[in-house]
Amino acid sequence: MSLITDLSERFRALFHRDRADRELDDELTFHLERDIAERVAQGVAAQEARRQARLALGGVDLVKEQVRDARGVRPFEDFAGDIEHAIRLLRASPMFALTIILVLGGALGAGVSVFAVADSTLWSDQRYGVSDRLVRIDQSNSPTSRWSLSSVDALALIEQQRSFDAVGLVRRGDLALAGAGSTERVVAAWATAGFFEAVAARAEIGRLVNRGDEVESAAPVVVVSHAFALERFGATAIIGRDVIADGVHHTVVGVLPAAVVELGGIRSRVWLPLHIKAPQRRGPFWLRGVGRLRPGVSVDMAARDLAAISHRIFPLWASSFRDQSAIMTPFPLRDTILGDAPTRVGLFGGAVLLVWLIALANVATLMLVRASGRQQELAIRLALGATRGRIARLLVTDSLVLTAVAGLAGVAVAAVVVPFARMAAPELPHITDASISTREIMFASAMSALSGLLVTIPALIASLTRRAGRMRVDSRRVGRDRRSSRLRAVLVATEFALALPLVACAFWFLQSIWRLQGVNPGFTPAGAITMNIQLAGPRYADGKARAAFWQRLEDQAREVPGIVAAGFGVNVPPDDPNEVNNFDLVDLPASGGAEPTAPWNFVTRGFREALGVRLLEGRDFTAAEYASDSPAVLVSTSWAHRYFPDRSAVGRKMVSGGCTECPLTEVIGVVSDIKYQGLDGNGDAVYQAVSLENASSFRLVARSTLSEDDTIRVLTEIVHGIDGEVLVESSTFSARLGGALDEPRRWTVIVSSFAIAAGVLAAIGVFGLMSYVVRQQRRDIGVRLALGATPRAMTMMVVSGGVRYAIAGSMAGVGLALIAGRWLSTSSFGIQHAGPLVVLIIAVSLTVVAALASWWPGYQAARIPTVEAMSVE
Amino acid sequence: MGSDLLQGTVELMVLKALSLEPMHGWGIGQRLDQTSGEVFKLPHGSLYPALQRMLRKGSIRSEWRTTENNRRARYYIITPAGRRQLEAEIRSWRRASAALNEILSQ
Repeated sequence: MSLITDLSERFRALFHRDRADRELDDELTFHLERDIAERVAQGVAAQEARRQARLALGGVDLVKEQVRDARGVRPFEDFAGDIEHAIRLLRASPMFALTIILVLGGALGAGVSVFAVADSTLWSDQRYGVSDRLVRIDQSNSPTSRWSLSSVDALALIEQQRSFDAVGLVRRGDLALAGAGSTERVVAAWATAGFFEAVAARAEIGRLVNRGDEVESAAPVVVVSHAFALERFGATAIIGRDVIADGVHHTVVGVLPAAVVELGGIRSRVWLPLHIKAPQRRGPFWLRGVGRLRPGVSVDMAARDLAAISHRIFPLWASSFRDQSAIMTPFPLRDTILGDAPTRVGLFGGAVLLVWLIALANVATLMLVRASGRQQELAIRLALGATRGRIARLLVTDSLVLTAVAGLAGVAVAAVVVPFARMAAPELPHITDASISTREIMFASAMSALSGLLVTIPALIASLTRRAGRMRVDSRRVGRDRRSSRLRAVLVATEFALALPLVACAFWFLQSIWRLQGVNPGFTPAGAITMNIQLAGPRYADGKARAAFWQRLEDQAREVPGIVAAGFGVNVPPDDPNEVNNFDLVDLPASGGAEPTAPWNFVTRGFREALGVRLLEGRDFTAAEYASDSPAVLVSTSWAHRYFPDRSAVGRKMVSGGCTECPLTEVIGVVSDIKYQGLDGNGDAVYQAVSLENASSFRLVARSTLSEDDTIRVLTEIVHGIDGEVLVESSTFSARLGGALDEPRRWTVIVSSFAIAAGVLAAIGVFGLMSYVVRQQRRDIGVRLALGATPRAMTMMVVSGGVRYAIAGSMAGVGLALIAGRWLSTSSFGIQHAGPLVVLIIAVSLTVVAALASWWPGYQAARIPTVEAMSVE
Repeated sequence: MGSDLLQGTVELMVLKALSLEPMHGWGIGQRLDQTSGEVFKLPHGSLYPALQRMLRKGSIRSEWRTTENNRRARYYIITPAGRRQLEAEIRSWRRASAALNEILSQ
């Protein structure tokens, strides 16, 4: 048998079935007519000839069936027939189809969206140049305090480490790129050859940065991303082309593959060789280390290796860096990039999972009702010889057709939701890359197929049991068989069990928002503004030039009429603790453990006044202290109470920043609390006077009687009047306080929308079930009413039925809700009291919702006219 | 006669008939009735499933043509593969029947 003719015949039979059937008709018609003509020619009467011809052929329909069987496409034809059948059924009940497509399409849309987000955020190591074996190396002196490496650390790391196959350094910064006519500033990255080796990068065209490029005298080269090459040169074959960066001609030596958008978690379109000069002092700290662990070396082992290196180099540079507790520390790179993104995506995913399951339960109920309604059709099919397998396939195909459409709807929903998610959760890394691609479409197909199978299971159980196999003509009793109604009750109760944790979570989020809104930030936002001012470039390399700038700015700002107070600091409330310092109290030594830390605000005169931080005890800084970086500090009330709950903090001494050789730092006064570490954070703060020449960047804080916008405008003019090229970023404290609530608010909205969806679905579920019950028991209820039952009692009967499902479901969901609560309170969402009381309240609320949803069917039940109900028979 | 044997025989007879000239279904039926002297009296309806199976095997192909009476009919035409199959089956049939004759004549 030739495979090709066989397949092509089958193919023809399958896809040109109508034509093949038509041809078969024509062929058999011709046969009969020819046969009749022959018999008539032999003298048989026309009528008799026709009879004989039919007899000789042996039954036209039978022949047709046999030929169709011989085509060898029966299973496919059956499938196609099932699909046709399914589509016919959908057309017959469009509301049913629409409900399912909306419910499931919405849930699948949410599922595809969260998949797209997780896909870009959590599962794209390759695109971002990340792997399990990669670590980021930072300086650290306590779990909360981390900063970059210095040239000293970097050189020692490269020479002395024994833990990594490859280790390199990288930094990001601004780069001025000369283009056609104009210069644009882009974010660029400078990296050593070891960095590219560590992240196992490869060039699509040309080469990457190599060791020869790291020498200062080497010819300047640049490696660019695929997108950059296309955008700037319109092609990727650009090796040897010229790029003018920071005024210097650079030769393009390599182009990265299109799929690579980040290396080691650093997003840059332009990569340059990093030059590390021989250091003169320990600082500055400007480099990020990235290393790939040797096989068999754990992060802890690498940590010990790096600590040893830090301890070796400390004495050599002790004159310029005095924090002995600061050591190079490896952190798994993926964790440092993702932060708490897995928690957030997990919450998002968990919510979607619950809503999807509720939607499945809802749809399964509908399918079950419909399968019960089709009991008679199925029974007839069974009686006519259809196998149970065949019936099962029919039901599954029915569902699959529906869920396939729902899957399409889901992809459409996700196409809308994903761009929205990019705005709703901008804190998730890589979320800007989230989109609907082939992977998402495959996920949608898999999920809709799985949904199709799952929603059919209850209907299969109900339809294929022996009892249900019997033909039942009594349509009034359709769907009343006990197994089917028990399944429905279980499904509806399940919806409540799954909705409970979601609604409780939403409530906990709301609670935490309310709490945050009630938090006293410690200052009056109205009238106060802040400006982040950075002095960069060779002009400000000298401390005198910096001091002159700050002094002029301070003097001019104070002269503006309406400005009540103005001063500089490094930290601003409510959530911008740039400087956090470690300290060791003489009275309470940390003895071996990690030293405590606190937001450490280096301030000039006027800062406290501008924010309204009041002196409560002790004394303020003297003018001499402001001028000399003296080791005197003011501490906040919270700080004082934390470390000295039963005595005064004034006069206490500490080692600050791990510098045991420096003069001890002394508390000279206690001031009122303001929040630097978020509204959720504590009020700990330490203030130290700072002289103007040291800082290359400051936060100016000003309070005025002018409008906030006017204050910003006037102060920006002053800054640019002194130096037009200084970078300034301004904000009002009202906006900053609003912004601090922004993220929790967005997550509350996300979780609440899922909770609402869950609640509505559960309500629809119980409404549908009770309506159905009333319809089925129409006669029973009518009889009861006729026998004197009050309409009110009938309503109550239905309502209490619905409430029973809600209570049963809620009770089943309590455990899940408590687990969700425990998870939330240990997560980074700032939810503190996710306790059982809320779960109880929500369970009661859901029961009320169920009562309300059952009320309408109950009301209908009370209005059943007794006469009509009696005469249904 | 067993149905497998019958089926194989029907195909062999159809191939033999078609090896002379292309024919439509009714014509094949007439031919078989005449040549077999009505020994194999099979319902003509069973020809069509057999023809369908042979189409799939590629031993015949079909084509709509006009009859001598100017009617459209589906004609079946033997393919080269069909001819090879026919020859092979005739050979093996001759061997088998010769052996059978031998046995029966003893």
